[in-house]
Amino acid sequence: MSSRSRSLMTRALALACVVACASDRRPAPPSNDLLIVGYDREPDNLNRYATHILEDIESCVVEGLVTNDERMQLVPLLATEIPTLENGGVKLRPDGGMDVTWKLRPGVKWHDGVPHTSADVKFTADAILKGDWKPESVDGFDRISSVETPDSLTAVVHYKEIYAPYALQFVRGTLPKHVLEGRDIDRANDYNRSPLGTGPYRVAEWKTGEHILLERVPGYWRDTSEPHIRRILFRFIANTTTRINQLKTGEVHVVAMVPWDKVRELRAVPGLRLNQVLGNGYEHVTLNQKRFPPFADVRVRQALAHAIDRDLIARTILDSLVQVVNGPVQPLSWAYEPNVRAYEFAPEKSRALLAQAGWIPGPGGVRTKNGRPLSFTLITQAGFAIRENVAQALQRQLRDVGVDMQVRLIDGTSISSVWFAGDFDAMLHWWQSGADPEITLFFAKDRTPPAGRNINYFADDALTALLYASDRTVDQATRAGLLREAQRRVAELEPEIPLYNTTKIDAVPATLRGFKGNPTNAGPFWNIQEWEIVK
Amino acid sequence: MGDREVAVSALRFIARRVVQSVPLLFVISLLVFALIHAAPGGPLALYLDNPNVRPEDIARLRHAMGLDRSLPEQYLAWLAAFVRGDWGYSYADGRPVLSRIIERIPATLELVGTSTLVALAVSLATGIAASVHRGVDRAATLATIAGISLPVFWFGLMLQIVFANTLGWFPSSGRASFGATGFADRVAHLILPAAVLASVHAAAWSRYLRTAMGEALRRAYVRAARARGLRESSVILGHALPNALAPFITVVLLDASIMVSGAVVTESVFAWPGVGSLFTESLAKRDYTVLMALLLCGSAAVIVLNLVADLVVRAIDPRVRESS
Amino acid sequence: MIKRRRAPATHAARTAALFLGALTAAALLASVLMPDAAATLDLSYRRAAPSLSHWFGTDELGRDVFVRVLNGARVSLAIGLLSALLSAALGTAIGVTAGYARRWIDDVLMRFTDAMLSVPRLPLLMIAAAILQPGVPLLVLMVGAVGWMETARVVRAEVQSIATRDFVTAARGIGASPARVVWRHVLPGVVPTVSVATTLAVGRGILLESALSFFGVGVQPPTASWGNMLYQAQTTMMTEPWLALFPGAFIFLTVLACNSVSARRDAGPRPVLAHTGRRTQLERITPLS
Repeated sequence: MSSRSRSLMTRALALACVVACASDRRPAPPSNDLLIVGYDREPDNLNRYATHILEDIESCVVEGLVTNDERMQLVPLLATEIPTLENGGVKLRPDGGMDVTWKLRPGVKWHDGVPHTSADVKFTADAILKGDWKPESVDGFDRISSVETPDSLTAVVHYKEIYAPYALQFVRGTLPKHVLEGRDIDRANDYNRSPLGTGPYRVAEWKTGEHILLERVPGYWRDTSEPHIRRILFRFIANTTTRINQLKTGEVHVVAMVPWDKVRELRAVPGLRLNQVLGNGYEHVTLNQKRFPPFADVRVRQALAHAIDRDLIARTILDSLVQVVNGPVQPLSWAYEPNVRAYEFAPEKSRALLAQAGWIPGPGGVRTKNGRPLSFTLITQAGFAIRENVAQALQRQLRDVGVDMQVRLIDGTSISSVWFAGDFDAMLHWWQSGADPEITLFFAKDRTPPAGRNINYFADDALTALLYASDRTVDQATRAGLLREAQRRVAELEPEIPLYNTTKIDAVPATLRGFKGNPTNAGPFWNIQEWEIVK
Repeated sequence: MGDREVAVSALRFIARRVVQSVPLLFVISLLVFALIHAAPGGPLALYLDNPNVRPEDIARLRHAMGLDRSLPEQYLAWLAAFVRGDWGYSYADGRPVLSRIIERIPATLELVGTSTLVALAVSLATGIAASVHRGVDRAATLATIAGISLPVFWFGLMLQIVFANTLGWFPSSGRASFGATGFADRVAHLILPAAVLASVHAAAWSRYLRTAMGEALRRAYVRAARARGLRESSVILGHALPNALAPFITVVLLDASIMVSGAVVTESVFAWPGVGSLFTESLAKRDYTVLMALLLCGSAAVIVLNLVADLVVRAIDPRVRESS
Repeated sequence: MIKRRRAPATHAARTAALFLGALTAAALLASVLMPDAAATLDLSYRRAAPSLSHWFGTDELGRDVFVRVLNGARVSLAIGLLSALLSAALGTAIGVTAGYARRWIDDVLMRFTDAMLSVPRLPLLMIAAAILQPGVPLLVLMVGAVGWMETARVVRAEVQSIATRDFVTAARGIGASPARVVWRHVLPGVVPTVSVATTLAVGRGILLESALSFFGVGVQPPTASWGNMLYQAQTTMMTEPWLALFPGAFIFLTVLACNSVSARRDAGPRPVLAHTGRRTQLERITPLS
């Protein structure tokens, strides 16, 4: 028996070798026939309005009236131009409302050959307003009173009030009226899993748990740039290590948003190019004044900011991949204000500010005031190696000025409900924003949860007034002026400690031409029809 | 006992066990439901991260998903539907829970089946060889203790680094290359994860079989057989092995049932699209409906295979039948 | 009572015991000398390869990996040992009660044991850990609470067989209280069985902790455990292999040592009491696959 098992094992080994050699394990390189993307998660569905993950795959299939390019500039897609006050596309009504006129690109057809018209725009707004299904957000749509369609290529959207981010209203595209009218959209799985679009690709196959395959649609409307690549395969690989391993072995060709701590490892891989764009988000430390009252003292907040060596953290833990920033609006935005107060690393200043605020060194090196120690807990997301490391570096740096900060990690889904309830002292996290520079949600005094995301529980009347004024301003230059002033005020009062911009790094084949990346949630696939493999 | 009596007693045995397992499953479902709903977050937590989702949206979604009802209400509604075979819809992608689970089963069966067969062959061979040969026994003891001491995820990652990244012999993960329909491609994908699963189970099983064999060899009838001058091979294969086999098969079946409910670690390390990956994905998304169904199916699988194991043991070993 | 001849300790078992002792001592010593791992944090000295000044190298934050491995030993050993003791206590209590008490109590307890055995252990723990986000003490409770069932079954079988022996019936006959009979006559008989189960459970507890930490729901940093050190080292496995090598090797060696010690304890001929091979039940180790 034992000799038999030995021969069995020999045979098994031999088979393994044969399989290994015969199948020639070097996978096929990327080509214009097939490009394989390693994707970190399987989408819940492909309905751009209902999904709550990034719309990378959808953006190849369903096109918005507008999109954001790699510089975060708004460019018209299914619309012929962006409506503004100057070109007459936006009209303010005396009753305080406004009308936005969208001109649609003629000759655009849904993949089933039915023309794309203003009726689809109206259907989209009506369906979302009706609310008998689960769109992720109805933001903006709930300010629409009605949509008129004077002709098949013109849609006039009537707003009840001024809505400054109106231009992004249909960035997620339109819903096809002829497919979805009169149906329960939540259960319309034919559409939700294989949406009808106008884009360069359509869903050819969705193999649950494994992949989604997109294939080129013949006769794409942008005849000047017919897609070069025939098929795009999105393979779902949730485990980051596995995903990066497959990139290195060539089993996948593209990985979007490479984690920063993996970049170093990929630099040496031949045939790969790492494309880097600034992100539209910023990592920062939220200081919850409601839960930990010492944060209500501006001197304490400023002292904490001076105690942190952001440059060192960016240079070491983040391998110099990110840029230190000083505020919530990011450099790519048209409303970005570069000249704000910056808090350099200055432990001496920090100690002086703390002493001024009445916090004097106590037992164990921790400062106290009226017998209470300057001691709080920072929460951050578990399983996010860089955050865990940054949190520990912050802990160390704060200790040097006599501040005791404990670190507690909370898993990704629970942490949302923790901060929503305001149950934390401080939090290390980021906000990833849309292309519009609205920050009212995060800083207006009445926008604390549940009404918004002001989880610093920071209240400043002047700032709140500025922010609401900017929301009611349609003219971009005027609005930018208000937002710039708001940013200067935020930096002065330092309600939270901004650390660095969330750079986006995508790994693509060196032979891929036309890839540009994208700072917004629209993702790097926005210009996929321009991608081409050149040998 | 006559054949008829045996059959009747087996049927009564089965009936009793089935009746016993119903309250068991009920208790498990209650436990799991309570546990899952004690979780902070819940399926709506995913929406909170998006700054464009407002509180009104959350309230609307909560109502639409029935999450604003009381827990007992939610449990009863779920139970009533579950018993009727309506397992509800996944919070994560809106598709029926049942079809989400069913579509993952072939992949898991493929992986678990292969590795069970391999582990079975290896453990039988080493278990028997070790009970015969002292040198083999020492080596096998060492190897099996090492095998059961290995952290599985670590072992899997190491194999990936060596055989996929460095040597390039096998793909690092996944079930098949896209577009490849060949058998060779499937086998190449299967080898590493199956090797991981097979080695840890082979280690556990051969150690178990070795102990059972050792016990059997000390029994009086084995000593008697030896005294009668029977050849060692027939003592081992003819007398000791059949006695050791019954408990061995029980263990193999039980471990296999646990694997069927998801080789959670291995599937996750190798991105194998089976039931185990579905579990980890659903846990990350707090997909209550899927998690409940998965744990109950897992428990049911254990109960059913437990029953099968007992039946097998009854068939092999008449003493059990008489004593029960 | 069962008389057992103590098997001579094998060389391997002695080495294993020595290793465990040394590790425990070092872990305790480290916690006295270096109570705070963050103390060695130095961003200007990151990812240094093993050398004479840093035996196991330094990590992403410039911390000494040797110090962290010893700190991690404290957590991993504590979880392994304490959860195993908890399992042993629970298993013995339930097993003795079921084996010695009346029929219906036995039935209820065994059905409960069956229910616990039917739920897949790792998934159950993962859900519980994800929800409760436990610290080390709670983790001990959780790991201990899912590990008593095998012990309970085996102890019950053993108690049932001991209870019919002459010396036990004699003790009952002269009017000894049930508690006294259990304490004086039954418990000593199950000690060998339980101690084998417990040494095996130490290894299993360490593996469970590392598996939970692999999924990010175990011990959370900054507290170091071998499991979460490995979890973090996944990212840098190709570039700084020592970060993964040492904690992985220590998990392996420690579990190996526990299992080797138990192999010694279990050596030697023993009477077989139940037809299914009661003793073999202990050898049933379900890998966390």
